[in-house]
Amino acid sequence: MSLILVDDIAKSYGKVVAVDGLSLRVEEGSIMGLIGPNDVGKTTTIKIIVGLLKPDRGFVRVFNEEPWDNPALKSKIGIIHERARFPSHHKVLDYLQRVCRIFGKPESRAREVLALTKLEYAYDRTIKTLSAVMLQKFAIAHAWINQPVLIIADEPTSNLDPAARNDLLDLILKLHQDENVTFLISSDIVPELDRVCDTVAIINQGKIWASGGLTELSERLGARTTRISADNPEALGELIRKLEYVSRVEVDSRGVSVGVIGEEDGKLYEDVPKLAKKAKARIVGIQSGTASLEELFRLAVKSGQGG
Amino acid sequence: MGKGRPFLEVFTCALNEDHRFPILELLVLLCALCTVFLAGLAAVYGFTTVEAFTHNLLSSSTWPLIILVGISILKNIAYGLGNDVEQGIIQTLFSYPLKKGYILTAKLLSALVIPLLLFLGISIFGLFLFFPDIILANPCTVFLTYAAQLSPVLLAAGLLLLLALRLKRGVLALIAGLVLCFMLFVIFDSVANSIAYGTGSDWSLKIYAVITPNLALQEYYLGTQGFSSGIWVPSFSEVLLCLLAGYLLVAVVFIVGYVYFKRGLRI
Repeated sequence: MSLILVDDIAKSYGKVVAVDGLSLRVEEGSIMGLIGPNDVGKTTTIKIIVGLLKPDRGFVRVFNEEPWDNPALKSKIGIIHERARFPSHHKVLDYLQRVCRIFGKPESRAREVLALTKLEYAYDRTIKTLSAVMLQKFAIAHAWINQPVLIIADEPTSNLDPAARNDLLDLILKLHQDENVTFLISSDIVPELDRVCDTVAIINQGKIWASGGLTELSERLGARTTRISADNPEALGELIRKLEYVSRVEVDSRGVSVGVIGEEDGKLYEDVPKLAKKAKARIVGIQSGTASLEELFRLAVKSGQGG
Repeated sequence: MGKGRPFLEVFTCALNEDHRFPILELLVLLCALCTVFLAGLAAVYGFTTVEAFTHNLLSSSTWPLIILVGISILKNIAYGLGNDVEQGIIQTLFSYPLKKGYILTAKLLSALVIPLLLFLGISIFGLFLFFPDIILANPCTVFLTYAAQLSPVLLAAGLLLLLALRLKRGVLALIAGLVLCFMLFVIFDSVANSIAYGTGSDWSLKIYAVITPNLALQEYYLGTQGFSSGIWVPSFSEVLLCLLAGYLLVAVVFIVGYVYFKRGLRI
């Protein structure tokens, strides 16, 4: 069952086209990552889905309901806005207890969500004194108050340090596994989404450039990652970097990871032995696999630039 | 779940933010002091009719309160609501199970209606304590005077709402609001009077009386001794018409504000 169904929506701000002909479907029980570079329409899409903006055209349904100014829908979804802000003079616990009353939940729930987001120590602090990291955690606690079936998050990790990002991703996985919560997460920090998302929609220039499961997308777009285990990987990596069809080269102490797009995977297998000879590197093994999300993201960016 | 509880929670949340200690307490104290002090002064002057005396008593003792309440409203709507839109707090409020119109109503109840109720409560109670006979004997004059005094305040509040929503910046809306109020109540007043004195015609005063209906009421009670020196002596029906037009203007501005908040606000 699709919890979110978006069909051919468009939204412009004056002459600036933010979203144009975007379609999207989020299935129940999935974690979908909406990824794309900055300013390609991710936030506008999220705002349309949560009913903050009305599209100029197109069809949007969340739980089979029109989201625009629909209060009943707000009880079913949790929303984490990009750089979320709250009435600043309230105390952390007081405000969340108020939100509990708004959603008809017991006030004890406020302590539960604060414990879940590791903010128990900040009960008595006013919201305006919270650091950026704490504020983001507070936003997550706030979104989880009403125990929604669907959480829509716009750049939820943007203000977090690496440890807090890890905690958040663990929390997302926990909620997904324990409570079967569906997530739609927009972000441009791609490696993190790679860890949690089972489906992705890559947005570029106001449209969904590609969407589906990671493996399916890799195969469909012909994006592969090839791991070459070799000694003297630095020299080999330098030579591989010069190949035109290679999109990414990462060198570590044991070898080289190469991102290849399109039908050039076989060509790489032909070129690597020649380059290894030139670099005086001994190849131990070559293995190809599904491209990472980052690979697909780069592909999308490249296509957006006309590359 | 009904919408009463979420509405009350959003309203009390706005109250907490708008009227933090000691702003409201200070407002109450100043309103009470002004009423007592100015009512005593106004009572010194004699007038030909008891209605004129009642109107003068009310007008003279309430204008500083109107300014105080106006400042409070300016702060709450232009700065407060402007900041809420600027910082994204409105987005958070939109994630609650309430229609956008109810959220704006809750914000306006806190920002506008609470200071106005405070003003009315203190002013009427204070004047009733000092002049019970006059207040009880002239309910129509009392009602008309308060209605005429509040119309420009509400108009300014509506325009401030539009400014705050349009500019989406608290400080900018506050500055623009101050300029707007100065133009509305100082510049326009001077221009209307200058035109009336210069041309001897009353049309500029009539137009300005739609913005500030108390001008029409004042000229009606004072007659030829009024501030326009007899250029315009309105009839009672003209006074009512100005009052009605004033409130119609207020209603139009607020309706535009609500429609813009619900449909046009880009956040």
